Amino acid sequence: MALAKGAGYTILVTIASIGAGLAIGLLMAVLSRLQWKPVALFLAVYLYVFRSVPVLVLLFIVFFGLPGIGIRIPPFTSMVLSLGLVSGAYLAEIFRGAMSAVDQDEILAAEAMGMNRIQSFLYIILPQMFRMSIPGMINEFTSVLKYTPFAYTVGIPEIMKEAMSLAAVTLRGVEIYLAVGIIYFVIYKLFVMFFMVLEKKFRIPGLAAG
Amino acid sequence: MDALINDLIAFSPQIIAGLKNTLLLMVIMSVTGLFGGIAVFYLTLSRTNAVRTWTERYISFFIGTPLLVHLFLMYYGLPEFGIHLSAFTVCIIGFTLNVSAYNARYLMTAYHGLDKMELEAAQTQGFTHPEIFRLIILPQVMRLSVPSLTNQVIQNLKDTSVAFLIQFPDFFAQMQEIASTNFQFFKTYMTAGLVYLALVSIIVIAARRLERHISLPGFHI
Amino acid sequence: MALLEVKNLVKKFDDKDILKGISLELHEGQSKVVMGGSGCGKSTLLRCLNLLIQPTSGEIIFKGENITRPGVDVRKLRQDIGFVFQHFALYRHLTVQDNITLGLRKLKKMPAKAAVEKALYELERVDMVEHRNKYPAQLSGGQKQRVAIVRALAMDPAVIFLDEPTSALDPQMTREVVTVINKLYLDNITMLCVTHDAFLAKYISDSIVFMDEGAVAAEDIAERLFYDHPDPRVRQFFLSVIDHR
Repeated sequence: MALAKGAGYTILVTIASIGAGLAIGLLMAVLSRLQWKPVALFLAVYLYVFRSVPVLVLLFIVFFGLPGIGIRIPPFTSMVLSLGLVSGAYLAEIFRGAMSAVDQDEILAAEAMGMNRIQSFLYIILPQMFRMSIPGMINEFTSVLKYTPFAYTVGIPEIMKEAMSLAAVTLRGVEIYLAVGIIYFVIYKLFVMFFMVLEKKFRIPGLAAG
Repeated sequence: MDALINDLIAFSPQIIAGLKNTLLLMVIMSVTGLFGGIAVFYLTLSRTNAVRTWTERYISFFIGTPLLVHLFLMYYGLPEFGIHLSAFTVCIIGFTLNVSAYNARYLMTAYHGLDKMELEAAQTQGFTHPEIFRLIILPQVMRLSVPSLTNQVIQNLKDTSVAFLIQFPDFFAQMQEIASTNFQFFKTYMTAGLVYLALVSIIVIAARRLERHISLPGFHI
Repeated sequence: MALLEVKNLVKKFDDKDILKGISLELHEGQSKVVMGGSGCGKSTLLRCLNLLIQPTSGEIIFKGENITRPGVDVRKLRQDIGFVFQHFALYRHLTVQDNITLGLRKLKKMPAKAAVEKALYELERVDMVEHRNKYPAQLSGGQKQRVAIVRALAMDPAVIFLDEPTSALDPQMTREVVTVINKLYLDNITMLCVTHDAFLAKYISDSIVFMDEGAVAAEDIAERLFYDHPDPRVRQFFLSVIDHR
């Protein structure tokens, strides 16, 4: 069925965007630890811009706008890039918040036993940060999923696009969009469940998430 | 660049009308969403299990499904049953249902952080449940939720841009119109992006002032 | 006739007997303290008496009316019983003054001006007038508890219940709060206080009820109960809670 195939694309777009977002968010979070003025300024501007501009507008800039200055980006990449940049900004903020919640004494202790900054980041900060970020990450991934329908505007055959053509042919919009809603809800629930399992698996007593 | 500026001037009546629509939509859904959120939050505290369960389901469904689907369902789906709603009406209904769910979630989170002894104290003083909600719970959770609630207003502004996908003549719809006549997609959409950036900045500044204005000792927000 | 009479009160939580048939009387102007180890059911008892918890069986007669019967105006009953909590439970979003006037205005329907006057008069009694515009977060524990006591007092209740009023306080603040409650005691305010603080109990009670495992084990004045009671359980408990210096 067309909707099922569309759902496949939706999940693909979601996962790819989350991956991009995670990579960007993590990079930004690491950069924020450098405490070097130009970097800090860049970060502030990045976070501000990508949390202020609507995803749809950004997608239009990337897909329809950039070719005007000679940069052509295929639809899928445009979508993933736009969503990744936006969710990266939100995730960076989530990671930063979680990092600042890590006990400073533990970092000091790590340095005292001879770890360098990279080691203390990898072995002390990162594992705690990830665990504490889980509720925030669930929220962010949910919004990524919910922005994926925009992909139809650049011609990616995800659920929404399939639903629209189906609705145009069958004239049964209510049933079709209701089905689409339910499919999204199921995907959402699966994502949440996946994270809950992950959270349980990595749970450490006393390190509560959020 | 000159060509774009000329276009922007030439299209300024439409752009202003679009901006008005965008801001109108944002203001209306921020208000309806706030009151809706409070109402939904109240229902989540109900002592009737069924009410709580269904309220939770409502929140979960609207948080877990895209706004665009709700808008399409109402705008493109309902005519099947002879119900023709204007794009504006669809937006107001769809956004209100969505924003209410989110706001209720924020208020619930704040509620979980309240000192429940205060509620017991109010009960021992002889306050009824509605009174406790109005006099003790609401003033506290609203204060604690100010950052989330104002973030939601920013989100609302940004989300108005999807309204153009159901033919609502908002600001972005006008910019899209301009781009499709002058073919300067990059500059036009960049301009649109900058306008959203400016509008968000205004909300951020207003939110900071509000936070300062209502902050109390012991409420770290 | 007693102001408050409890007859054979029983409370079960999932088949566990928390209160196993408590009977006690409290007369107007009398101050009683209920003592006992943690988990003896004394806090549950207090919460049953203002119906914050529904007792399983037994009778509670308040001002001649059996309040365990259905159809009792719980709201009105609670307005007539002041309640002071271990952790103060002041409303964090209200100033000291507003904490006190809230009940006066919204429950007693007092005009705002009269409510403020009443609040200031009561705050004067505990020496807290100068702090009237502060928020709870700006007060020390002892000050919070003094405000909480005034909040209860201002409603002119028939009786004040105190649930471990000094347990969350350090010795200095405890002394502060004991002084205030002792003042109420000397003013013949009717009180029922639950505590395991023997220092407090001694200074604010006409008699002390000792509870053990959900039942009243003994009742007597402080001196007799504290130092040479025939019941070994009583002796052992007070041996552990009294600072013998």
